[in-house]
Amino acid sequence: MIEVFLAMLLSPVLCSLPVAFAWLIDPKPEWARKLPILAVVGLFISLICALQILFSPDRLVKSDWLPEFNINFVFIIDYLSKIMGTLTALIAFLIGVYGLEYMKHDYRLGWYWFFFNLFTASMLLVVYSDNLLMLLIGWEGLGLASWGLIGHWFRDDDELSYVGEVGRKVAGQNYFWSPSTGGWRAISTIRVGDMPMFFAIAAIYFFTGTLNISEIHWEEFAKEVGSFGIFLILFLFMLGPFTKSAQLPFSEWLMTAMTGPTTVSALLHSATMVAAGTYLFMRLSWYIEPWNLHSEGIEAIYIIVLFLGLISAFYGASVALGCLERKVLLAASTMSSLGLMFASTAACAWVGKIAILVGFWYLVTHAFAKATLFLVAGHLIHETHDRFCVGGKEVAKHLKLAFIATIVATLFLSGIPPLTAYWVKSAMDGVMHSLEHHFGYLPLFLLVVTSAIYSAFLAKFLSLNFWKGKEVHIHPHGGGLMSLAYIAMASMLILLLYIYLTGEGFTKLHEFAHFVEEGFLTSSLMVGIIVLVTYLLALYKPRLESPIGKALGDRLYMPFLNDYIVPKFGWFLAKIADYGNRLIDFTCHQAIPSLFEVYSLGVRSIQSGSMERYVKIVVAVVLIVFLISAGMGVTI
Amino acid sequence: MTFLAFLLIPLIVTILSPLFERRVATWISALAFILPMFSSLYGLLTMHRGEEILFTLPEPVGDFYLLYDPVSHAFGFTICLISAMVALYSLPYMSHRFEEMHANAEREFRKYWFLYNLYAVSMLWLVYSGNFLLLYIFLEISLLASFMLIYLYGYGNRQWVGILYFVWTHIAGVLALLGFLIIAFENQTLAINAIKTVGFIPWLLIFLGMVVKLPGLGPHIWLPWAHAEAPTPVSALLSPLTVGLAGYVLLRVYTIDSSFIDTYRDLIIVYALISSVYAGLSVFKQRDYKRLLAYSTVSQMGYVLIALCLGSYGLIGLVVQYMSHGFGKAILFMTAGAIIATFHGLRSLDKMRGMHEFIPTIANAALIGFMTLSGIITIGMFAEFYILVGLTRIYGFNVYLIAAVVLVFVISGLYSFYTMKSIYYGTPLKYEKPKFSKLLDVPLYVIAFFSIAFIFPPLAPALLDGLRAVLGVIP
Amino acid sequence: MIIFLIAILIAVFAAVVSYWNPKISAVMSVLAVLMAIPYSPFASLILAIAILNVVSLLAIRRNQIVGVDYAIIALMSLATVYSFITSNLAELLLLFVVVSTPTYLLVMIGEERLNVEIGIKYVTFMVLATVLFIIGAVTLYHAHLTQDLSLYAIGFVALLLGLALEVGIAPLHEWVPDVFESANPIAVSVIASLAKFVPFIVAYKVLMATATLAATQILLILAVISAISMFIGNIGALTAKSASRILAYSTIANMGYILATFAAITAPKEFVYYAIAGGLLQLFVNAFGKIGFFNAVKDGSSSFNAYLLSFSFIGLPPLMGFWSKLFIIYALVFSNFLWLAIILVLNSAISVPYYLRLVRLVGTGWKFSITNTVTLFCALAMLVTLVPPSWFLELVVGGFR
Repeated sequence: MIEVFLAMLLSPVLCSLPVAFAWLIDPKPEWARKLPILAVVGLFISLICALQILFSPDRLVKSDWLPEFNINFVFIIDYLSKIMGTLTALIAFLIGVYGLEYMKHDYRLGWYWFFFNLFTASMLLVVYSDNLLMLLIGWEGLGLASWGLIGHWFRDDDELSYVGEVGRKVAGQNYFWSPSTGGWRAISTIRVGDMPMFFAIAAIYFFTGTLNISEIHWEEFAKEVGSFGIFLILFLFMLGPFTKSAQLPFSEWLMTAMTGPTTVSALLHSATMVAAGTYLFMRLSWYIEPWNLHSEGIEAIYIIVLFLGLISAFYGASVALGCLERKVLLAASTMSSLGLMFASTAACAWVGKIAILVGFWYLVTHAFAKATLFLVAGHLIHETHDRFCVGGKEVAKHLKLAFIATIVATLFLSGIPPLTAYWVKSAMDGVMHSLEHHFGYLPLFLLVVTSAIYSAFLAKFLSLNFWKGKEVHIHPHGGGLMSLAYIAMASMLILLLYIYLTGEGFTKLHEFAHFVEEGFLTSSLMVGIIVLVTYLLALYKPRLESPIGKALGDRLYMPFLNDYIVPKFGWFLAKIADYGNRLIDFTCHQAIPSLFEVYSLGVRSIQSGSMERYVKIVVAVVLIVFLISAGMGVTI
Repeated sequence: MTFLAFLLIPLIVTILSPLFERRVATWISALAFILPMFSSLYGLLTMHRGEEILFTLPEPVGDFYLLYDPVSHAFGFTICLISAMVALYSLPYMSHRFEEMHANAEREFRKYWFLYNLYAVSMLWLVYSGNFLLLYIFLEISLLASFMLIYLYGYGNRQWVGILYFVWTHIAGVLALLGFLIIAFENQTLAINAIKTVGFIPWLLIFLGMVVKLPGLGPHIWLPWAHAEAPTPVSALLSPLTVGLAGYVLLRVYTIDSSFIDTYRDLIIVYALISSVYAGLSVFKQRDYKRLLAYSTVSQMGYVLIALCLGSYGLIGLVVQYMSHGFGKAILFMTAGAIIATFHGLRSLDKMRGMHEFIPTIANAALIGFMTLSGIITIGMFAEFYILVGLTRIYGFNVYLIAAVVLVFVISGLYSFYTMKSIYYGTPLKYEKPKFSKLLDVPLYVIAFFSIAFIFPPLAPALLDGLRAVLGVIP
Repeated sequence: MIIFLIAILIAVFAAVVSYWNPKISAVMSVLAVLMAIPYSPFASLILAIAILNVVSLLAIRRNQIVGVDYAIIALMSLATVYSFITSNLAELLLLFVVVSTPTYLLVMIGEERLNVEIGIKYVTFMVLATVLFIIGAVTLYHAHLTQDLSLYAIGFVALLLGLALEVGIAPLHEWVPDVFESANPIAVSVIASLAKFVPFIVAYKVLMATATLAATQILLILAVISAISMFIGNIGALTAKSASRILAYSTIANMGYILATFAAITAPKEFVYYAIAGGLLQLFVNAFGKIGFFNAVKDGSSSFNAYLLSFSFIGLPPLMGFWSKLFIIYALVFSNFLWLAIILVLNSAISVPYYLRLVRLVGTGWKFSITNTVTLFCALAMLVTLVPPSWFLELVVGGFR
């Protein structure tokens, strides 16, 4: 079994090496433009492996790493990892196929394919890792690859690769972001979360003696370290997922991450990077089983996650409502979805395992829909040479497949009965509803509002790009491979719908039956109708032209946190350090040497050449020393 | 006997290398370090431990012997690998430098190879020295050789910088020597295997000396000068290898008697943390590539001091940190040097942007270098891991310390990628795409390979299990 | 004893012969020195210094006392070797005078004419030094016999001051920079090398014989004086302009290092040996170093040699200067003078800049000449301790038992 895992993780990376080296060695490797096919083959091999794992029994697969420290390579095959792994590999493969055409004429294919495949491999490693340190390798790999891909167009010379209106300033601050800034922002934000998480991992290792999530006795662990201890460890641990999944206040990087190629955004937003955060939280909750524990520390964490998720979801949805850039709109919507996944999973502390399943299946649904939308957005950017939402009926006419895919994806994602997301969302309504005893109706209310806004901006996306947007002239050329990829992706949503409605026997957990059951409740139906109404409204009136809309479009001025407050503070500290260095440098290398020089001149000034003076000094010294010694002789 | 034979190779080559023509001398020098590199790698893989007496001096000096254990093999491996790679890199770089200085390259190379090999071999022998006096002797020889290299071939006001470097490190050395002598007074021996106790005053003196050398905040001010103005191959040994040896000395003293650290742990770790954060912040203000890297060294050496306070896990972290910083910083200094050599002395960050466009291989190597520094999918990850485990073990849930250590790690990551962005990415400035020798980039990738390979079997378990066997028993 | 007398006769004869042919005088002088070799283990080292002195004197072209100077060197070196052997106070004091007096003549040697003015300056202080030293030594013996503590203190101080004045220890160093600067460098190289041994050896012997009375307070005076000397020497040299002046201050500092060893005089015997070994080795470092440098001052030298000498003075292993300092520091640590040891090591750091400047001043390039060769040999002598000098310690233990 270990070979399957090795093949799955290594084949994408190894297959991308030829193209990577071609670009490293040869500055203009036109001959190597066919090599990316090999890289996609690598992704395909991963997919095959993932499928094989999908149909094999649950187990742990171990291999020695640091046996003396009880740290080993442990791959886990269970409900979550099987499905998540397959999802990742499938989406990565489809996006890879799409990328073959999308990135055809790029100037940096070696870099792109290497990091794209590394991205996939890292995510697969995260998905199948039971060992936290091994997971961390994948986790850091995700961060690194996302940095590489977001900053892919490092020359910052293409307006199409920016985020925000180039040249625009708000309160004296540039309100647009280049790819190299985007990359830097991503990795710097992630770093802030990863290091606390790393500490938490180290602490878990120290207290439990193992790093395997499935082997840790969480109950004993929580007892051993006490309420505060477990709270601290879990909180620091969760900072990793929070930053990776762009929850407030770490959301800005996800928006500026749209400076990368669209394929990257698609992958990043569906099944890798951002999903990794929520996935990890699900995996942890799966084994912590907080519904069985009575620890204040753990409960506090779940409360924090629940509300942070809901608030982020609300914020993300609102921002998406105001956004006019195709990709940034989708990015904000992803943030919103991630918030819902977190919230839903966090509810498991009171509701039980089903809440995790709800969050998880929402993740799956969202992944396919969001990937479809991003791929369409990429195709549109290619055809219209514009990253803002533009395009009237003519676009819909020329790009029929894109139009259809968008309709499918928006409808299926927003939670309109009886389409795919509706069933999951209904179950989520149910979960939030059952939190009533603990938090009142607040969670449910936030969820419903978010859902309503969510469907509105999805409709807006559809409307502004294919119906009511500014007419643009387009020259469709090729695009076959791209269309194929997103149509395949969209059809997955239909497949998923089929599974929800009929797949009861598939997982033996009866979660789909639960979804369906919830879907038939009146309250769920009511929410579904609200969602449908907002969808239709937004479809008809897609623009929100008011100061509020503007503020939302400017992401409620959150960028100032990353562009102004944090850097100002950082530079202030750096300046202090710099002044300190200058002071020390001056003291040690100017002042003290000068002092020595002064002394030296003093010492040398005795040397006047005058014999008389010398004799005087000598006699004086001799007498003084004699006096001292005589004094001493007496005292002795 | 075999290990001694391998250690003798570079010593002999040091004396012989001036006899050869520069190309031959380069390859011979590199080979002279590659061979002992394999022997120490073998020592690591087999977890070899042993001693080999060279000769015995009367009390209070005791046996001069060579000490083999996973710790010295780990240090030795790092020194050999980097010395060999930097030796190869020296050929194109120093050719450029001599040309720039209008010196007779053939003649200067003879001097250069003698000093370079002397410098590297003294560090190598230092980590295998089983007697503090022998260790001190090699410490001073390495100082001497590196000083000469700066004094003769450095940049800027090189003689002033050279003297500055000499005075600071000499102070560091002699303070440690005083400490060693008091140890000799107390134990009637300086052989590491025979010393029983280290009192407060010798510990203090050694600690102060090593803090100057390491360096900690305050004395750190010599380092940016010396490391920035040294000829780059020398910087690529100074920063990755030499300063960290202070950590090695402290580790050896600690394993004999940890009383000093146990008593003053809190003070030292606070000092180390402040020093690391402070230096990390200083990095952001630097506009000279090599000075920037030098400040990052100060910050990274803060890790070493932090690790020293964190018990046996911390000590493992210390050794791994030395290796990871060595790998990373060697790569980075060589990238700085490659830019200097190919763009005619270009060092200022103000004149660099989008350099990836012109020198992609160097840029990618720099990326791996910075990854190593910040512990992303490289050996640096283990350094951070063990430091964090040690932190938990010693301090439990001390929120302030956790926050501070995490902050230190965060800052390293931030300045790494900030520097990457400001040098290698962004709109490229108007330069020509240069052609340069393969020796300016291939050695970087060899080091990078090891940096990554050390997180996987068989190297990772060999290293870490070995270190555990030596250091794990210390409370 | 007889052999020494014969050797002295030969030296005197050499001086006489010198009017006929200076070369023969040189050969005979060397021969006279060689005769002393079997009598002391230190003789061969002293001999090496003496020969280097003689050879470097050959480089002075128009020497007023050509020929006689070789004999003077022979006489001084014989006296030095003998001082290792004897322990008789009268003989020791005689040797002190024997070594001191010839230098009055040497200091006046010039290329053109005798340098009388400098001679007067030098002689004045030397006479004062001799008087103080002899009074001190005699008083010490007397105090030792009568067990009179206060008298002992006076005697100790007198000896100390006499020694200080004789070898140029601050704050009685005033003559040193002037003499070193104005006199002929080769002549100075003799004063700075060969002439330094006997005062210290005599002082060691006298103090060791009477050490039982030495109280901590008195040693404190000594330690303070030695610290002052280190600081004045090293700091003064930092801005000194000419190479000769740098060397003058360096001598003051070195004498301070050596004086510090006296602080260990009351320690247990084995540590005293360390102190003496350190002091003697430092004297050898100083002797070889000063001969080498003054020859380089006269005629330049290759920078390699100059570096070796400088690094040895700074005290870097494995050169001789390291081991001497090591022994000294070790002795100080053992005799509870840690603070002095710290001052000493800090001083070795202060000295770094000027020694390096010295290299730049004199390291002008290799020429094939007598002085360059002498410098080369001096530099090579610093490498003697590539073999750790526990052998030297054994010599000292043997010689001073």
